[in-house]
Amino acid sequence: MKKTSFWVILIAVVALLSALALVWQHHQAKADAVIANIYQDGELIRTIDLNKLTEPETFTVTGPAGENEIVAEPGRICVSHADCPDQVCVNMGWRSEGGFPIVCLPNKLVIEIESSADANPIDGVVG
Amino acid sequence: MHLHRASALRLAALLLSLLFLCACGNGTTAQETAEQRTDKTIFAMDTVMDLSPYGENSAAAAEAAAERIQQLEKLFSVTIETSDIARVNAAKGSPVEVSDDTAALLQTALEYCEKTDGALDLSIYPVLKTWGFTTGEYQVPDEDVIQSLLANVDYQKIQLTGDTVQIAEGMEIDLGSVAKGYTGDQVMEVFRENGLTSGMISLGGNVQTLGTKPDGSNWRIAIQDPEGGEGYVGVVEVADQAVITSGGYERFFEEDGVTYWHIIDPATGAPARSGVISATIVGDSGAMCDALSTALFIMGPERAETFWRTYGGFDYLLVLEDGSLIYSEGLQGRFTPMEPWSNNSITVVSK
Repeated sequence: MKKTSFWVILIAVVALLSALALVWQHHQAKADAVIANIYQDGELIRTIDLNKLTEPETFTVTGPAGENEIVAEPGRICVSHADCPDQVCVNMGWRSEGGFPIVCLPNKLVIEIESSADANPIDGVVG
Repeated sequence: MHLHRASALRLAALLLSLLFLCACGNGTTAQETAEQRTDKTIFAMDTVMDLSPYGENSAAAAEAAAERIQQLEKLFSVTIETSDIARVNAAKGSPVEVSDDTAALLQTALEYCEKTDGALDLSIYPVLKTWGFTTGEYQVPDEDVIQSLLANVDYQKIQLTGDTVQIAEGMEIDLGSVAKGYTGDQVMEVFRENGLTSGMISLGGNVQTLGTKPDGSNWRIAIQDPEGGEGYVGVVEVADQAVITSGGYERFFEEDGVTYWHIIDPATGAPARSGVISATIVGDSGAMCDALSTALFIMGPERAETFWRTYGGFDYLLVLEDGSLIYSEGLQGRFTPMEPWSNNSITVVSK
């Protein structure tokens, strides 16, 4: 009888621990990544995990109206320079969380951060 | 003893399979919901639009909505020469026959021009142009240039009879402050016609929702930080409603240390300085919310409150220059301010 309870408890504990480990791993993977998706004319052209960067990276995207210079840093991203006159995308500044994307209309460029999986996710942003 | 051991093993096996069932069950549900949602991004009406309808028919609904948006853009765009609005502007005072959509939108818009006592004015377009907000070639115009253009700014000189529009010679109109809101209403209609009961769209930062989320909960819509930070003022929960914000941060330039934004007060011909830096309207009609977000931004807190008491039918949230928040009572329990805004002065306006 004692032996039986021992096995029941052991198997239950092992099962519970593995389940917890799975959940924790899943949670960690989501919490650690800050994924920036860069779209041009609706097509995904690049995906960067901002939290995997160790130093700033600068690159240029060319669209119908000219160039956008994008700076990705550990944890955040922005458009640092644009050829267009209105500079709306540059004025939008840095992004490090989900929500309102950086948009350059003339070049049909959209930079969007995937929302992190927190307890109360946001479905949309007005602005 | 043997019997006990066997049942213990059975129990353990049962526990294990239950655990796996839970894990797999969760995964499948999330995947199914994801499969039933269609995400479509389109560039139209000088902005980027995200359509996210849910349901079996969501792919077809998104296609139909995109077509409808492009159809409306061809009618409303001030820069497409063949559009209804461009033809009205080019008519030099003669009457012009327009589409049912243009007439319907004009009628709604003119109603709000009237109700807001001209805080919203569709004929402000020439002033907006001279500031360079339509092209990005920004400049601070001379005061006498503004005054001469203001002489032709008067929504009361826009005549709509049935589907015929006539404006005074020298006037130009633009539906930029209301077109996206009306388009949102039309997209909801397309979703409904396709049998959908759930969906969300963002038309360049104008959010409109159909029903609730598929799980029955409200949509959580965040309001962008008007001071340019990447945080949010707060989150408002809605179902089957539009949430539309006007903010000075959307399009602006600086000259000699002064910030000039694109929301022009028809009374002065200059960027509106009412103390408001962000005005959000929550209501059933996208066209109404769009019109009133611009109007309440221009009106300022006192006139906005009087307007809301007089007409109602919507809720509003204003962010003022000093960081304080004012919102109408209908948002109580639905709006949650976030830090640092939640530490600032918050006033709830009641009837």
